[in-house]
Amino acid sequence: MKDRVGRIERKKRSFNLKMTIFSLIVFAFIYLPIIVMIVFSFNDQKRNYYWKGFTFKWYEKLFTDSDLIQYLWISLAIAVLATIISVIIGTIGAFGLVRFEFKIKKLINGALYIPVVIPEVVLGIALLMLYETANMPLGMAAIVMAHVTFCIPFVVIIMRGRLAGMDQSIEEASMDLGANRLTTFMRVTLPMLVPGILSSCFMSFTLSIDDVIISNFVAGPKSTTLPVKILSLVKVGLSPEVNALATVMIAVLILGLLLNSLTQAILKKRAENNVKSYF
Amino acid sequence: MEDTIKTKRMSWGRRNAPAIATAGPVSFWMIVFVLLPMIYVVVISFMSRNVYGGIDFTFTLANYKEMMEPLYLKVIWKSFKLAVLTTVICLLLGYPLAYYIAGKPSATAAKLIMLVMIPYWTNSLVRLYSYNLLGATNGPINNFLLKIGAIEAPLDLLYSDGIVIVGLLTAMLPFSVLPLYTSIEKLDKSLLEASKDLGANAFTTFRKVTIPLTMPGIVGCILLVFIPSLGMYYVPEALGGGKVMLIGSLIRNQFLVTKNWPFGASLAILMILMTLIMMWIYTRVASLDDLEEVF
Amino acid sequence: MKIKKALVIMLAFVTVMSFTACGGGSSDTEDAGELNIYMWSEYMSEDFVDKFEEETGITVNFSYMNSSEEAVAKITAGGGDEYDLVMPCDADMTSLIEGGYLEEIDTSSMENFQYLDDAYKGRSFDPDTKYAIPYFMNYIYVVYNPETCPKEITSYNDLLDPAFEGQITSVDGIRNLFPMALEALGYDPNSTNDAEIEEAYGWLQKYMKNVKYLNSDDAEKELVSGGCSVGFVFDGMFGRALEDNPDLEVANLTDAVQLGVDEFVIPKGAKNKANAEAFLNFMLDPENMAANIMDGHAYTCPNSAAVELCDDSYKLAKNIDIPKEIKENYFLQLDVGDAMKTYDKFYTRLKSEE
Repeated sequence: MKDRVGRIERKKRSFNLKMTIFSLIVFAFIYLPIIVMIVFSFNDQKRNYYWKGFTFKWYEKLFTDSDLIQYLWISLAIAVLATIISVIIGTIGAFGLVRFEFKIKKLINGALYIPVVIPEVVLGIALLMLYETANMPLGMAAIVMAHVTFCIPFVVIIMRGRLAGMDQSIEEASMDLGANRLTTFMRVTLPMLVPGILSSCFMSFTLSIDDVIISNFVAGPKSTTLPVKILSLVKVGLSPEVNALATVMIAVLILGLLLNSLTQAILKKRAENNVKSYF
Repeated sequence: MEDTIKTKRMSWGRRNAPAIATAGPVSFWMIVFVLLPMIYVVVISFMSRNVYGGIDFTFTLANYKEMMEPLYLKVIWKSFKLAVLTTVICLLLGYPLAYYIAGKPSATAAKLIMLVMIPYWTNSLVRLYSYNLLGATNGPINNFLLKIGAIEAPLDLLYSDGIVIVGLLTAMLPFSVLPLYTSIEKLDKSLLEASKDLGANAFTTFRKVTIPLTMPGIVGCILLVFIPSLGMYYVPEALGGGKVMLIGSLIRNQFLVTKNWPFGASLAILMILMTLIMMWIYTRVASLDDLEEVF
Repeated sequence: MKIKKALVIMLAFVTVMSFTACGGGSSDTEDAGELNIYMWSEYMSEDFVDKFEEETGITVNFSYMNSSEEAVAKITAGGGDEYDLVMPCDADMTSLIEGGYLEEIDTSSMENFQYLDDAYKGRSFDPDTKYAIPYFMNYIYVVYNPETCPKEITSYNDLLDPAFEGQITSVDGIRNLFPMALEALGYDPNSTNDAEIEEAYGWLQKYMKNVKYLNSDDAEKELVSGGCSVGFVFDGMFGRALEDNPDLEVANLTDAVQLGVDEFVIPKGAKNKANAEAFLNFMLDPENMAANIMDGHAYTCPNSAAVELCDDSYKLAKNIDIPKEIKENYFLQLDVGDAMKTYDKFYTRLKSEE
């Protein structure tokens, strides 16, 4: 008996090792272009056609005299707004679509797949036509609304999956205990949905911050996003300055991740002291 | 029982208040920003191009007839093949990774998921051009191989279907890991234990228990990877050396270059129908409640 | 819970703030002191724009396009009124003018209009010069690396020689490739004849066998990296390639070369039309234009008075100082109307072959 347990243990360990190695390889694949991008941000060739020599000058330019930063701020503002709006509408929308019956439910469920399925150019042009018909000015607000449009379906898909696998009895218990629907939703349902909401935020932010085709069609004056600017730079060669900016962004994110785990560790310690106050 | 009587007595507005409050905003948004523009796209797909590239508003079926030409079917078939290949590889790479991440404590898992996503917060064009830099005639790979004497002349590493698939994978992998992780993470581990206790080996457990239980994640992955890679055009154009024509580029050309919006619209509708039918067949076969309610 | 509440309040605050910021942003477009330009990126000197802003007190906002087609799509969809100046290319002018998408430009009040070369006044699509003022011109040349080029090139037909297999880097696009083929075959480069277009397709099939890289944005990079020895590229790309490989030469062809012109137009409903005209006037001033060119924008300019003021570093640059016999034997892209559908079909066929 002891022997069998030992064998299973050993098998499990070798399986875990294989999984770790495989995951590392996949991570390497994901990070390969990033590493190339970082290396070439130090390239002394202004159009980044080939490796010419090592230089820091693009970072200097980035921090002293760069117009790229302003486009980054526009992109970030749009992505944050689009994420907040689409996650709010999408989350409560998914709840409504899963829990209630209403006449146009099938129509809405079908419509949700269209932004996923439709080629981006077509959605871009169709939204441009919509804005023009409604006489809405192109620009930041127009881009945010376009991004919300293609983010909502992803949020709903993720949240619906989450809701479908959720144990409803906890909510029922809350209602039995006298809480009304809103309180139950806010205090019971929502906390259980947190992992899904986080994935939705990730997804929406990722889709929004990198969108170029749709933004391009609905952008107006003073609303050039970073991807749109970068795409327009391809014409004259992508300067290593663009790589430098992307490198700084990655560095900030990874630093943020490290800081976050530090604060979490501290918070966790504190939380252990007052678990009671959570509910 | 008491509950149903109460609902019957309430006015329509009060009875539907929870539904309106929750599903109302999303319904409104979908109707205004998706269905209205879609109606426009459907309408123009039955029109034709006028001499100056505008739309001639007379009804015709010519666009739909035209796209049944072998030429366009060939483009569609090739796009389809590349998208299927991309999706399969994404699943093969993404599933084990998602499984690995899901097996970690939740704080670590969250961080690993972040690590998967972070590269995608930089610009996708810059990432794609990294492959062009890497594989260029005088790029690092060729230079290295020349230096060690493995080759005598630089290799043509770029501008092929293969590198286009690598590009599509780069663009799509996180979108496969996320839904897979979400559903694997939800997996009730005791069921796996039970399966093992009943004598099933690891592979059988995986095939008979894990896969069916994580099907929503797999479907989500197919949805989020297959469909966008079918319509994506900037990856093939950045990496294909301008010699790979996929349906995304074809549709883009109709709208922008040829200014034949009606034909572009009808191609787009064909693409949408194709994917919806595929999803429908898929959900019938796999009988998934979640997706079934679409139809 | 407290943390969550604080988060929600913060998010709500950010949302409200950014919406008011958006509202504020769109309201100052009404201000008369602005000029919204939609054009190529990195195509105009910053000092040049600063000087204009200083002289007139007008604030210039740039938006960047990725293709002329995109700009045209935005104008035809009705979004043109967001901008005061847009830069499509000459091939799109007929459809924009005929479609009524443009404002007339009042050239009579522009004192520098006289400096625009006569060849660019009263062109066939715009006989009274009411709609378009050219900015820069782009030739498409056949460029080669004398060290590695396997054969001498004297005509487009030479490019079909099997010796060039995998040696050509080329601009892409229906209306760049087909006119070359039609010219090579001795037809009108803007042909609308189906049989001729089909023949051009046959010609391009052979051309494609020799082409390694096809891209209208950065075809020159294969000339720089040494991947290709011949390029069918814009003169601007040629200029960029010369920075790294000064040995490149332009082939002296018996065929005509293709010329495209980047035009400034004022879209219908532009809110700051007077400012747009002030800008065009400023741009046409020879000294201003010369300064713009000398600040790293070495393109061919339709303003001879400005070119005169430039240094030799521009005038004698290899991509600008092209022999007259090459430069003056050119053709333009014209609107081909419904034949575009035929072109598109053959172009799609060309690209879907293995």
